[in-house]
Amino acid sequence: MKTLVLGLGNPILTDDGVGVRVAEAVRAALPPTAAIEISEASVGGLELMERLLGFERVILIDALHGSRYRQPGAIHRMTLDDLRAISPTQHSASAHDTSLVTALDLARRMDFALPRELIIFAVETENIVDFNEEPTPAVAQAIPKVTEMVLAELDG
Amino acid sequence: MTKISIDPITRLEGHGRIDIFLNDDGNVKNAYFVVPELRGFEQFCVGRPAEEMPRITNRICGVCPEAHHMAGTKALDDMFKVEPSAAVKKVREMFYMAFYVTDHTTHFYALGGPDFVVGPEAPPAERNILGVIHKVGVDIGKQVIECRIRNHEVIKMLGGRGVHPVAGLPGGWSQAVTPEMQQQIQETAHKNVEFALFSLDLFAKLVLENQDYVDLVLSDAYAHQTYYMGMVDKNNHTNFYDGLIRVVDPDGAEFVKYDPHDYPQQVAERVEPWSYLKFPYLKKVGWKGFVDGKDSGVYCATPLSRLNAADGMATPKAQEAYEKMYDTLGSKKVNGRYQPVHFRLATHWARLVELLYAAERMLELVEDPEITDPKVRTTVKLPPTAPFKDIPGEGLEGVGCVEAPRGTLTHHYWGDEKGILKKVNMIVGTTNNYAPMAMSIKKAAEALITNGTVVTNGLLNKIEMAFRNYDPCLSCATHSLPGQMPLEVNIRDADGNVVEQMSQYTQGN
Repeated sequence: MKTLVLGLGNPILTDDGVGVRVAEAVRAALPPTAAIEISEASVGGLELMERLLGFERVILIDALHGSRYRQPGAIHRMTLDDLRAISPTQHSASAHDTSLVTALDLARRMDFALPRELIIFAVETENIVDFNEEPTPAVAQAIPKVTEMVLAELDG
Repeated sequence: MTKISIDPITRLEGHGRIDIFLNDDGNVKNAYFVVPELRGFEQFCVGRPAEEMPRITNRICGVCPEAHHMAGTKALDDMFKVEPSAAVKKVREMFYMAFYVTDHTTHFYALGGPDFVVGPEAPPAERNILGVIHKVGVDIGKQVIECRIRNHEVIKMLGGRGVHPVAGLPGGWSQAVTPEMQQQIQETAHKNVEFALFSLDLFAKLVLENQDYVDLVLSDAYAHQTYYMGMVDKNNHTNFYDGLIRVVDPDGAEFVKYDPHDYPQQVAERVEPWSYLKFPYLKKVGWKGFVDGKDSGVYCATPLSRLNAADGMATPKAQEAYEKMYDTLGSKKVNGRYQPVHFRLATHWARLVELLYAAERMLELVEDPEITDPKVRTTVKLPPTAPFKDIPGEGLEGVGCVEAPRGTLTHHYWGDEKGILKKVNMIVGTTNNYAPMAMSIKKAAEALITNGTVVTNGLLNKIEMAFRNYDPCLSCATHSLPGQMPLEVNIRDADGNVVEQMSQYTQGN
């Protein structure tokens, strides 16, 4: 199954880069294979959707900020439906880009080749406003755990 | 003072917000737009080699990394005193035009489009790109995505990697354009010109043939008489990559044309006690508050501003589109140039004129024989300078300036004699427009809030429309889930208590 593991986020904005770090750790743990592409990106919405086209399975790792029960370092395994539930996409156009859910709905509407399987690992963050290359301790501790979860997902 | 906040829902704290302050009579006193306060950027940069800046600054914004990459690269040219060859400048500009095509396309179809194509009165659930596609058809949606994809290919090819380019070097560009690349880019550019013309036609059909929209564009609720800023070439035509910064007054007369190095003499920043945002204004006119007119130093730097500040466009089809826009909007020619258009919603139209210019310019550049010059790198030597001792004028200093899609972008670096950074300053595109945005939001709010009575119906849409035409860049750097900016309005009484709450998010639930 043609798979993409994509770490999302900004690597110089403290915890926002958690997805990028997990992608790096996944890359280090796996022998290079043609079937699994491991990459990072600091994009959302349309550009992210375009990046997913042509893959059968996609695993995204991203930062999640400001959830109702804030617990930095907490890990959530989500599907697109979960994202839809927390995303206000259906009700609002964003000021700058559309959300991933809208972008994927758009792609579906246009019959683009979307992945059959989309899994999102979201890590709750503590700080995404300070420029720093190091994540906060709680988020740093989550990195090996999420890495294991992604590897298990790839095995399964 | 009563305060109305249009807030993102709590899970998105740190993202954009609109605050509207009411006076004791319940009328709008002030309004402003809050963007996320990212902290510690200067501290992050200090101590690093300056040559890392094009790769660091392109990380501060997920929306216009190419603009930061280019401003940073140009600041390095200046810092290390290496003039790029004509071929290098052309490759950089061609790369930059591909970026402009994607960015302006996205704004018109995905962001501005919902306001015009779907309509300002449409329910929030339909006011997104899906609503646009529903209205104009799936085929057009496919064209939009194809346009983005083919230009992202060019960005990746020329920039060395997708999204966050790495090719900019002091005085150079890391790779030359091969004949094969030239051929692909040429095909892309041809398609871009066709697509831009198509988009202008679509705008004419959907907006100009709809009297309600024309009235909206021409309405006083969305008009402001301010100064306008934009980069121009030696013929005073709009340029995105290089040139002098020209400012025209509200009547269209040239106020100043300056070298980007002189920005500290031209632009100052106003600090208001109620916001951490700084509001840039024209230093030589002075700050008179959030007001229109020739005596107010408020200026605007947007696609419409760039066209207002220029005498025309450097490419033929864009020039035609430019003239059509000014003629249609009733602008008269004075001393050979059109008077500025003050209708802020015409910014959407101006953006499409710029889209056509970027497409045509890309085609010109790719067909230039020099574009495949294999020599795109240059040797950089440290210019001799006195050791840096925290004294201005010593050490190495560089300024780089481009037009970002959302306004004039300036990077300014100070380093020691080896180019290790000591200080950085940046005026990013959106920042230029903080005061005009506040004024537009205020005006939209005034029409909807009188003597404490708030017309809730369409309030959010209309306020959103007022600021969206500026294409504000809120998403600077963070892309954490869910990656969306819904608005919430908190209406507060004179004591600051929330008496009513609305949001795009809860409306539909």
